[in-house]
Amino acid sequence: MVRKFTRRMTLALSGAALVAIAAASPVMAQETFKIGSINPYSGPMALYGDEVTRGYDLAADALNAKGGILGKQVEIIRGNATSPQEGIAAVEQLAGRDKVDVFIGTYLSAVAAAASEAAMNYQKLYWDTNALAANLTERGLPNFARSGPYAASFADQSVALITDLLADELGKDKKDLKVWIEHEESIYGTSVAEIQKEKLEAAGVQVVGMSAHSPKAIDLTDSILRARDAKPDIWLNTGYVPDGNLLLRTMRDQGFHPAAKVMVGTGDTRETIEALGPEAIEGLLVVSYPRPDIDESYGPGAAAYLEAYRKKYHADPLAPQSMTAFVGLQMLAEAIEAAGSAEPEAVIAAARKIDKPLSSYATGYGAKFDEKNQNVLTPPTVIQWQDGKVVTVFPVAAAGGNKVKSLGK
Amino acid sequence: MSNLMNILVVGLLLGGIYGLVSIGLNLIFGVIRIVNFAQGELVMLGMYGAYACYLMLDMDPYLSILVVVPALFVFGVLIQRFILQPLQNEPSMQIFATFGLLLLLQNIVLAVTRGTGYTVPTDLSSVVIDVAGLKISLVRLIALFAVTIVAVAMSWFLRHTLPGKAIRAVTQDRRAARHMGINVELTFMLTFGIGAALAGLAGTLLAPIYTMSPQIGGNFILAAFAVVVLGGLGSVWGAFIGGFIIGLIEALAGYYLDPALKHAVWFLVFIAVLIIRPGGLFGIVGAEEVGLREQH
Repeated sequence: MVRKFTRRMTLALSGAALVAIAAASPVMAQETFKIGSINPYSGPMALYGDEVTRGYDLAADALNAKGGILGKQVEIIRGNATSPQEGIAAVEQLAGRDKVDVFIGTYLSAVAAAASEAAMNYQKLYWDTNALAANLTERGLPNFARSGPYAASFADQSVALITDLLADELGKDKKDLKVWIEHEESIYGTSVAEIQKEKLEAAGVQVVGMSAHSPKAIDLTDSILRARDAKPDIWLNTGYVPDGNLLLRTMRDQGFHPAAKVMVGTGDTRETIEALGPEAIEGLLVVSYPRPDIDESYGPGAAAYLEAYRKKYHADPLAPQSMTAFVGLQMLAEAIEAAGSAEPEAVIAAARKIDKPLSSYATGYGAKFDEKNQNVLTPPTVIQWQDGKVVTVFPVAAAGGNKVKSLGK
Repeated sequence: MSNLMNILVVGLLLGGIYGLVSIGLNLIFGVIRIVNFAQGELVMLGMYGAYACYLMLDMDPYLSILVVVPALFVFGVLIQRFILQPLQNEPSMQIFATFGLLLLLQNIVLAVTRGTGYTVPTDLSSVVIDVAGLKISLVRLIALFAVTIVAVAMSWFLRHTLPGKAIRAVTQDRRAARHMGINVELTFMLTFGIGAALAGLAGTLLAPIYTMSPQIGGNFILAAFAVVVLGGLGSVWGAFIGGFIIGLIEALAGYYLDPALKHAVWFLVFIAVLIIRPGGLFGIVGAEEVGLREQH
């Protein structure tokens, strides 16, 4: 009796479910605009993949409150990818199973490279907001555009910081200013360092040395002693968190105190202050993604973004990448609306017609896409550690009156 | 001149770190005759253990040695008993098993920490001793003292205690040792336990120096293999002195040649030693034939 009843119930239930699915699916397909987010949601970078996606979710919430994209509600669907292979698999799954309209990403450049090519096979747009590698836009892939800063943007801003702000602050003429360039040895650090060297020398600044280190090295005293021997005014480093921390620690131990220490990309999180303590990193400058504390006139909407973030996640952003992701999805929505469809060629053609000056978005970015589909108006900002807190100090317009402090002479 | 002195000091301190990480690896290698790929992960566990003690018990990393080292000893014994012992007659499978263990431990820590870099704070980590312009970091000096004490203690233990003698007997000839009434399986468990405990000691002592990540074990283990091969497979003093040699080579090559080439230089030395003296400088004769020589 019990068995019979169960069977009948199962049958009834599955019948009801079928009807429900049949009834619901066409409506769903009409009403939602699906965006596949390709990011690492497991593994060592999961924290950042999540953080980037929080930016997308917040942008989707804001868009949906105003009617969504092309009259449809926006839905972000996550595709987990920690490696290029997984990136391809995630694209195939999202394009085949979930029928997403466009793809967005990516915290990892290597994943972006593979996933965007896979998206090309499905004739889908791959809109990148966060990947850093220069070669992504140099491939000329017709379905690929990047709305955020990349490696060269960071290199440019570190040079601008030195020539436009630090030279004056240190009371030195550019030609008397000595800079040591330190970088991790892979393509990322090397490409940033090469741009820095070229541009600093073009500005008349003396580059007294350039040195590569392995981010896995157990000891970096040799790199620090070589830099110390060159007696630079400014020590500039591009790398990752563990090697950056080890370099800073070794500088302290070896008594190497250049007038200014500048790090590119890392050094502005809890991981660094925990490792060194507030005293050792006082005055350290970090070129990084714009943060919500930037001046409202420079980044209109930054304060509102922070408020929305706190309301939804009951915490402050763990990393500044999320606001750049948030703005990236806004730009994507504008391009799709202008194109009237999600077709890659149409969206990219529409994106290239957008011409918005700097300070149009919460991050202070503008929108102007070049012939490689790279947005060229995406300046990173510079923070300084002051009394154990990060404070935006450059560009001056973003700093809102905050000044650089604690530089040596 | 003062620069050269500074580099030599840096090299010696670095050698202390390498020696510390290598002694446990070398003991396991020499006695059980397996290459323990997971040794770096045991060091990593030691580091996270120190962090956990700090987080939950507010313990100084140097005090957490009292918790972490015994815990890793037990963990090592369990690995030998339940993973390696069942594979005793298949040496290549044992190596794969340690490799599997490496992946497992890395990913467990990854899942728990989500990849955030932690550092254990101690008041000592910013203390620098200045000797006539030479800067000596106290935490590194402690590591150097520790490795010296460990080398002396291990050497005494292996020569003058019954379990130590059993370990040496098993190292020389498993079958003969068994015939003399030595419990080979128990000796292996003891050895792996001691090897893991030494890795835990290294981890706690290194925790205040580095920002830890689940993959950090790999950074140490590459150097540790070079140390072990150079110093001599299965020799405590080999690992101790090999550590200093690799540390000095790295510091000198990094400063005078190029920091990006220092690893290439010690790998050249590594290859040269393999060709000229396969057993290493202080190695036990025939120890390099692991996996080839018939074992019982």
